Amino acid sequence: MESPNLEKTMIQRKKHPKLQDYRFTLKLLGKNRLAAAGGVIVLVYFAIAVLDYVDPQYLQPYLNYILSGGSQAFYVPLGPGLSNGWAYIFGETEYNMPIFPYILAALKVDLTYTVFIVGSGALIGVVLGTISGYYGGYLDEVVMRITDIFFSVPTLVLALAIIFALQASSLLDIVYALIIIWWPTYARISRGQALSLKSMKYVEASTASGSSGLRNVFVHLMPNVLSPVMVQLSLDLGSVVGVFATLVFIGFMHLPNPYIPELGNIIVIGESEFTAVGAWWAVLFPGIFLFIFVIAVNLLGDGLRDVLDPKLRR
Amino acid sequence: MIVEEENLKKIENYPYLSVEGLVTQFFTSGGIVKALDGVSFNIKKGEVMGLVGESGCGKSVTATSVMDLIPDPPGRIVKGKIIIDGFNIIGDINKLAKIKVKSEKNVIIKRNRKLIKRHNFILSKIRGRTISMIFQEPSLSLNPVMSVGKQIMEPILLHNRIEISNSIIRRETITKEQIRTFYTEALKIKDAMERRKYVNQWTNMFGVAESQDSILELFNSQASSDQIERDLENFLFGEIEGTNLRVIEKVRDYYKTQEELFKLHTTLLMAEENADSELIEKISMEIRNLQRKSNKELFGFKITYKFLRKRIDIPYVKEARRRALELLKLVNIAGAERVIDSYPHELSGGMQQRVMIAMALSSKPKILIADEPTTALDVTTQAQILELIKELKIVTGTSILFITHDLGVVAEMCDKIGIMYAGNLVEEAPVNDIFYNPKHPYTIGLLKSIPRSDVKRGDILESIPGSVPNLITPPSGCRFHPRCSFKMDICETNKPKLVELDDNKNQKVACFLFSREVESSE
Amino acid sequence: MELRYFVLRRVLLLIPTLAGLLILVFALFMSLPHSLLELSLFPGIPHNAALEEAQGAQILGLPYTLNGVYHPGLPLPLQFGKYVVRLFQGNWGYMTVPIYSGSVIGAITTFFPNTAQLVIIASILAIVISIPLGTFIGARPNTISDHVGRIFTFIGYAIPAFVLGTFLLAIFSKGGIIPIFPSANAFSASAIPNPPPSWMLSSGDLFITSPTHIVLVDSLLHGDLGLAWNTLMHTILPVLTLTYGLLAGIMRFIRAGMVDSARQEYVKTARSEGVPERIVIREHIRRNALIPTITVMGLIIASLLGGVVVVEEVFSYPGMGLLTVQAAVQTQVYGVLGTTLVFGLILVLANLIVDVIYALIDPRIRY
Repeated sequence: MESPNLEKTMIQRKKHPKLQDYRFTLKLLGKNRLAAAGGVIVLVYFAIAVLDYVDPQYLQPYLNYILSGGSQAFYVPLGPGLSNGWAYIFGETEYNMPIFPYILAALKVDLTYTVFIVGSGALIGVVLGTISGYYGGYLDEVVMRITDIFFSVPTLVLALAIIFALQASSLLDIVYALIIIWWPTYARISRGQALSLKSMKYVEASTASGSSGLRNVFVHLMPNVLSPVMVQLSLDLGSVVGVFATLVFIGFMHLPNPYIPELGNIIVIGESEFTAVGAWWAVLFPGIFLFIFVIAVNLLGDGLRDVLDPKLRR
Repeated sequence: MIVEEENLKKIENYPYLSVEGLVTQFFTSGGIVKALDGVSFNIKKGEVMGLVGESGCGKSVTATSVMDLIPDPPGRIVKGKIIIDGFNIIGDINKLAKIKVKSEKNVIIKRNRKLIKRHNFILSKIRGRTISMIFQEPSLSLNPVMSVGKQIMEPILLHNRIEISNSIIRRETITKEQIRTFYTEALKIKDAMERRKYVNQWTNMFGVAESQDSILELFNSQASSDQIERDLENFLFGEIEGTNLRVIEKVRDYYKTQEELFKLHTTLLMAEENADSELIEKISMEIRNLQRKSNKELFGFKITYKFLRKRIDIPYVKEARRRALELLKLVNIAGAERVIDSYPHELSGGMQQRVMIAMALSSKPKILIADEPTTALDVTTQAQILELIKELKIVTGTSILFITHDLGVVAEMCDKIGIMYAGNLVEEAPVNDIFYNPKHPYTIGLLKSIPRSDVKRGDILESIPGSVPNLITPPSGCRFHPRCSFKMDICETNKPKLVELDDNKNQKVACFLFSREVESSE
Repeated sequence: MELRYFVLRRVLLLIPTLAGLLILVFALFMSLPHSLLELSLFPGIPHNAALEEAQGAQILGLPYTLNGVYHPGLPLPLQFGKYVVRLFQGNWGYMTVPIYSGSVIGAITTFFPNTAQLVIIASILAIVISIPLGTFIGARPNTISDHVGRIFTFIGYAIPAFVLGTFLLAIFSKGGIIPIFPSANAFSASAIPNPPPSWMLSSGDLFITSPTHIVLVDSLLHGDLGLAWNTLMHTILPVLTLTYGLLAGIMRFIRAGMVDSARQEYVKTARSEGVPERIVIREHIRRNALIPTITVMGLIIASLLGGVVVVEEVFSYPGMGLLTVQAAVQTQVYGVLGTTLVFGLILVLANLIVDVIYALIDPRIRY
């Protein structure tokens, strides 16, 4: 005979195990100072991007100016300084375009696309990977062979080739190409995870109690596949931003507007100013913004990995 | 005569291992885990002591502390002495690291790297040689990327260089005289076993142990004694490999200096403990001189050794491999020649544990610590391993600290038993006294919780109420008081001391029911 | 199982991987718009070669386009088969880009050695630096030296190659603040003796050196120190850019592996046997720490090859990367497909080598 009191406390304790778990994760993450710093920086970046969507007014005039090709006359660009208002704090680049608003506009573009790439890649990868890991057999074999193919060419080269094959003429085409390239990573991770979870007692128990295969996949496996995927996802935010900017930097696409706000593009434009008139700021500041984001994302990802690692989670 | 006998008695009672007031703590983000709280015991020559307790009571921490293998961070030995063969291996613990406790969760540890380096040097000469250890999980305790043979040879090559050098030199400079004496001596012995023993000894000394069987065969052959002598000479001279003896001598010199340095450092450590400033001065001087001398004389050799280590070590590796094979045979591994080149994952759990034991015994240690050596093995293997340890104890005369949670194993293996509870030794007594005359309430509870054949069917197996306390915030006074049915007021405030019983000097109990002595806490 | 059986099996496994790679390139090819295919055929194709091919196809009664690779009328598998046969025959098509004009195979044999030079030097440097450094910081986690090392690693990891490259170029090349390194090209044309020696084959303004085709090695072999020095100066900046990223990638994993394997039981065993700390770190901790590093080596090499593309583009260094980029810019279909295939082949072979090293280091893997 269990005492009713005990039962009650047990129910209470089990009320929000998942929520408590997330809280715990956040708490651990906060304790890891570097990871917390990374998290804060990533949040700031996303805040800037969201702000661009919510209130485009403060950027719009500058953006119009930039997209229409700036002054289209050759003046020596201004250096960084506070005397000309906030927009000119990091100086000017080609055709007297102010760098700071240019970067802010680019952050919105880069982050939006990156999130879209990583999100779609992860979604496709997790679904395919989990299903193939759970069912095994032919399906698994086919999916894994396809991922093998994707891993047999260096990412950047493959991206280049796919963008070429798509005859990309906008940034959106790069996005599609990168989604095609990125899903196999997630498929592999989630398949491995699903394979090891498949034989766990709780999955077997739910099968024994009449749960269907797909229900197992979506209800029991997928939530537990997510934690390594989360780590990879956070790390990939950095790599994708980098690859995206690199691809634009290489610049073999026929973009509709040569002044499109994108970090790689700003650096390309800045590079010519740098070599022509020594405008170092035109490369340094967009470079730093890119660099800090990648570092922050990596710090966060590493921290997440430590925090989610059951071996260290104590 | 009388004096000698007294000396003998002294030697018999001489504790190989003596632990005094050992306090080990772990400084974690959740607070300070007071894992050991003043543990004291000692083990005499050839004695087997068992440590028993529930999981989490500090058995393994005791074992790792005795080897000074507590991972730092987070753990440290905070107080106490560990005296191995008359020498306190941890020296002055406060000098190695200054621990400043600001609060439970905020502890600043300042380590003295120079002293820790010296400490590690001394320990590396003691571990594996005077004291060694067998671990709980053989599958995790062997390096997965190193062959079994290499792992056994590693401590042999570390600790027996001088001995191996000597035997190589003897072999390479063997004379007809020596062979003749050996031959006549061996002929005198008529008993086959005795002769085998003698030949074994001699061949080991002369570094020709591999030909032991062939030599014995020679003796047993029907040839005339002159013929045998000539054959023996031819045979033994054939064993000479033409090794460069100057190199061997250099290696020996190098390791002899290391040995001297080790001895000087231990003396220095003892002097520091006694605060004998004159001796400290003298020994430090000697250490400096020795280092200077060795730097001067062995400079060229050290450089050559660094680059040509593999070549120079060939004769040593050969001898170490032979010894490793012998050890594998000693621990009853079938097909030792095959096993020596295999990797740990190719062996079964029982085999892996045998390899671990072979490693631990490689330098004939005086003390062996066995930390639950059979827990991870299945029952039949368990029995075999226990049998093996028992046999080896008789053969080698090693003292053993045997850690287990299985009282049955303890009854079979040990001479005396220590019962641990929450980082304290609560009772220590010879096996019989523990089983037939337990004193401490915890010991009594523990014994009652074993299923026994004399309990009637249908009776409920008793268990100790409550559970092991959290050692970050352990109970005050006697750590057992919250679960004790004999609790008195004093138990909550004061900690009982482990003292001998009045009627049985061998049995020690830490409980206010038997003695009012309070453990002083500084 | 013995090591050689493992290697044999691993080599056999190359076949499906290579087939996969070919399918990928073929799929890229098929997904190109038809107009582009036709369009791309004209520039740069020596007419006689293309015509010969076309005539050959006509004789056999096959549908064809100008260079005969594309057979729109045939079923897909058959088209794929023909494509593969052509690849094996050495017919990879033609390309015309600023740095080269001619057959794709010719372009690859000309520019591959330059890329190999970059990649090999960068890899050696990265390994030589990262292993001792990673061991050092991994053996003392959370100390000052560890923090400094980790920051160094993080910067290398996070800074995109094109940003770092642009900066190095702007600072150290002609017209920069410290103009000590030349920019563009694998060596200066002025460094080549006139007339070129017999070991240098020249075609137009391109040179192929023998016997290794790697200029730095060959010039040293033939004792032309001037050219060797010139080549070295040209390689330093691209190599530095590549090395930093590579180094950071390797070091990060070595450090993590060191920290992880230092916690393992066998390290405790080694210490309990009296093995000195120095040897514990080197023989027990590091050897095990290298295993996880090697498992990710394939990914690291892939990113190195991606880095080569960027670095060659930034420094105008004539190699496979620049060839790829220029082929894409000039819409040279066969150039893009050919270089993609070569990069794939390099990666596949590198992965094979990595797997063999893995098996050498970790005996468990052979089973």
